[in-house]
Parts: sequence; structure tokens; C-alpha cells
Amino acid sequence: MKRALVLLGFAAAAAAADPAMIERGKAEETRSCGGCHGVRITRTQRLSRGNWEKELDKMVRWGATIKDREAILEYLVATQGDDRPRPTPEISANGAR
Amino acid sequence: MRYLSRRQLLAAAAAMPAAAQSGSLTVPGKAPLIVHNDFPEDLESLPEYLASWITPTDKFFVRQHLPRPKIDAGAFRVNVGGMVSTPASLSVDDLRKLPQLTLAATLECAGNGRGNFQPRIPGLQWNKGAIGNAQWRGPKLKDVLARAGASAQAKYVDFDGADVPVGKVPEFIRSIPMRKAMLETTILALEMNGQPLPDLHGFPLRLIVPGWDGASWVKWVNSIQVQAQSNPGFYMATAYKYPKVAPAPGGAVKPEDMDVLEGMAVKSFFATPSPETKVKMGSTVRFAGIGWGGENRIARVDVSTDGGATWRPAALGKEDMAFAWRTFSFEWKAARPGYTVVCCRASDAAGRTQPIDAAWNPSGYLNNSVERLGIVVEG
Ligand code: HEC
Repeated sequence: MKRALVLLGFAAAAAAADPAMIERGKAEETRSCGGCHGVRITRTQRLSRGNWEKELDKMVRWGATIKDREAILEYLVATQGDDRPRPTPEISANGAR
Repeated sequence: MRYLSRRQLLAAAAAMPAAAQSGSLTVPGKAPLIVHNDFPEDLESLPEYLASWITPTDKFFVRQHLPRPKIDAGAFRVNVGGMVSTPASLSVDDLRKLPQLTLAATLECAGNGRGNFQPRIPGLQWNKGAIGNAQWRGPKLKDVLARAGASAQAKYVDFDGADVPVGKVPEFIRSIPMRKAMLETTILALEMNGQPLPDLHGFPLRLIVPGWDGASWVKWVNSIQVQAQSNPGFYMATAYKYPKVAPAPGGAVKPEDMDVLEGMAVKSFFATPSPETKVKMGSTVRFAGIGWGGENRIARVDVSTDGGATWRPAALGKEDMAFAWRTFSFEWKAARPGYTVVCCRASDAAGRTQPIDAAWNPSGYLNNSVERLGIVVEG
């Protein structure tokens, strides 16, 4: 039983990570998320599917137009899900005189 | 249901965001900082920048909600209206003619440390560096309110900056209650660390609300409205709220069960050395950091070099005042080999002390968990 559940969980995760869907989701992010702020703010997050759903709803309320919601959600969950390791911090170059 | 081939898995991996690079972004006037966002810039101080009592402006963290406005200093006016007898429109010169106060105060983002909460919370994933201490200078807010004849019946003051929202994003308007607005120490800063405010920090005018969350320190202030009630907009009614009763981690809290965030929590952290530093057995290790207590001065900082089993007082810096952080240092002889967990814990003059684990809350505010720093002692 436990093994069956583990297999089912793996299958669900694998199905979610369909590379074509992920590619489409990434393109959707470029199209619909970069107008008001840089995409770094999304790429530094590590959120559960539920929290990504809420973020997309919030951004749509604020004026984002998402055409391919399924793909962007799968992309965000697969690449910036709460099970993904934290990104290596990005450090800016020295701009001080 | 299907399984991915190795080739498909590789393709999926290639679609992931590129590994973070160093130095791909340069922010004029800023030393290297941790980049959380580039447009608008959200930048975090490196821990080692936070060892000195005053944080140099080029190393000071930056937090912006909306794209930064371009401001012509000559044409700039701040309008004071609402429940006032004579609405005023003041230039930078008018503000400079009022009595000026210089005040050291620590500015901390309400969400500093959000990135360390579990389960994870949407928002900037700050580690510990969304904080800094600076000298701020400008007229007192109460003098500006008096110029316009603010009504004694008013209960709140609203602040709006020159930044403009995109799309249907709400205006960034914040309110503070009259009791805080009328304090001698609540000022409208024209200067930061002896220089005119840089654009990134709110040029030409920024509200300084000592001891309170950074969200109250509105930048580019061009509108001050005296009101009977707190602003009904998103940034007062929904954002920057903290549960009255702690939920289980990950739990939801109803809006009516939240309070507006005001004063900040008591906390401390190590600026140096950095985590996982290797030291030789028998050597003396110097720890340096800061403690701060929002509106209260810091009374003590204790350090543990055995993962919290025993504690000893740290040496405190001479600058000792409300609103500004206090530096501390602690010397330790690394007598035994092995991985050692070093912790620091501040207590303020009001008797507040840091918890081992800060209460999880839906927006990830006030993370003042005791810091645990790993040091490797090599035998
Ligand atoms: C209409 C403008 C707009 C668009 C389009 C937009 N956002 Fe945002 N987003 C904002 C604003 C404003 C903030 C708050 C910025 C801040 O407080 O720093 C924000 C913040 C965020 C955050 C940080 C968490 C939070 O809620 O503050 C995430 C994650 C995010 N956006 C994701 C996205 C994604 C994904 C998209 C594309 C589907 C998107 N945004 C498109 C305006 C927008």
C-alpha cells in the first residue's frame, strides 16, 4: 500500500514535469510576468502549488493577463516549488564609487 | 500516467532558471549586495556589512514596492491636507528652514528573515540583511503638521510617495496613529548619513518612524493627509498585518484576526564570522554582531557556544539608545574540536527576549528566532 502510494506520488510529479509544458510555462512567464517587475522576484521564491495558485490569482487581480495558466503553474511548481533547493544568492557587482 | 526518459529529464532540467550568477547586475552607488529583484531593486546587505554601528549608505539594504519615481528637486512639493485648517505645499527649502533633528535609527523590513520560515511564505526571501542603522536628519513631522494646522480631533496621518503603481496595483499608502506622529523623534528626513537621501532611499523626503517596521518609513513622500481613520487601502487593510493569535505553521488567519504591525521585535544576529567558518583548536574566535529592540534600548546580549545549553553575556558597544541597534562582541577560545553551534540572544530594556523559534505567520513578519551559527573547530 505504502509503496503504491509512493509510486503514485512519483508518477504525479513526473507527469507534472512534462518538459513541453514547462517550456510553454517559461515562455508564458516571460510574456506575462515581466511588465511590472523583474522575474527575479518569482525565481527567488520556493512555494507550494497552493501558494503559487494564490500568487497567480493575486497578480491577475493586480492586472496580469495570463493566457496559459496551466503551463505557467506547472512551470512554477516544477522549477520554483517548495521542494526545490534554495537558489544560490546572486550578488551584484560593485557600483559604489 | 507516464514516466520521463533520461533525455526528457535533462530537457526539463535545462528549462530551469539559470544558476545564479555573480556580478550580472550593477547598481550605481551600491556596493555588492544580495539581489532579490532588479526591477525595482530589492537588495540585501551582506552580514559582514552589519558589524559597525552605522551602516554606510552604499551597503544599506533597499526595498521597493513600485518602480522608483524620477523627481525634480526644484519642482518637488509635499502637500499637507485632510483635517487641517490651512493646507500647505512645502518645497525642500521650506522643509530645510524648519528646525532640523539628527537621529540614529535602525530600519528593518517587516519581512527580514522571511526566507528562513518553514513552511515557505511568498514575498522577498530575505535572510538576515534587510536591516541597517543610519543617521537621519530633517524636520520633525509635528512641526510640519503644525504648519498646516492639523486638527486635534484627527487620529491618523496618511503618507503617500511619488511612486506610481502599474496596472491595477494599489497605491502604496501607509498610515501612522497620531500618538506616534506627534513624537519628537518622528521626522521627515532630507538626509541619510550626512548626505541628501539617495534616490533609492527616497530622495528628497522620507518618513522616519523609529522602532517601527520599514513599511511605515514611506519614501519620496509628496502627500501627507491628516485623517480620522487609518487608510482603507491594501497596504494598511490587508498587508503588513500580524495574527492576534498564532496559527499552526502553514495555517490561515482571517483578516479580522490580524493587527496592524507597529513596533519591531527584539532580535540579534552575528555579522562575523560567516557560517561554517573553520578555526584552529586553541585559537581565539571573535564574534561581532548587533542587537536591537525596536522602540526599546538593548539591555543585554548573551552568547552560547554550546548550542544553547549555557549562556554568557557579550560585551556591548558604547552607543546605547532606543531606536538604534547596539553592537556586541564576544571572544571565545575554541578549546574542543568539532562542529560547534554558537547562538546569540538579545534582551531589551522592556524585558523582551528572543524566542528559540519565532512564531510562524502568514506573511512571514518579525522573524526573531535565536540565530544558530555553525563553526568548525579543527583539531
Ligand atoms: C500588473 C503588474 C504585475 C504583473 C503583470 C505581475 N505582477 Fe507580480 N507583483 C506585482 C507587484 C506590484 C508586486 C509587489 C511588489 C513588491 O511589493 O515588491 C508583485 C509581487 C510578486 C511576487 C512576490 C510576492 C508578493 O505577492 O508580493 C511574486 C512571486 C510575483 N509578483 C509573481 C508574479 C508572476 C508569476 C507574474 C506573472 C503571472 C506576475 N507577478 C505579474 C505586480 C505585477
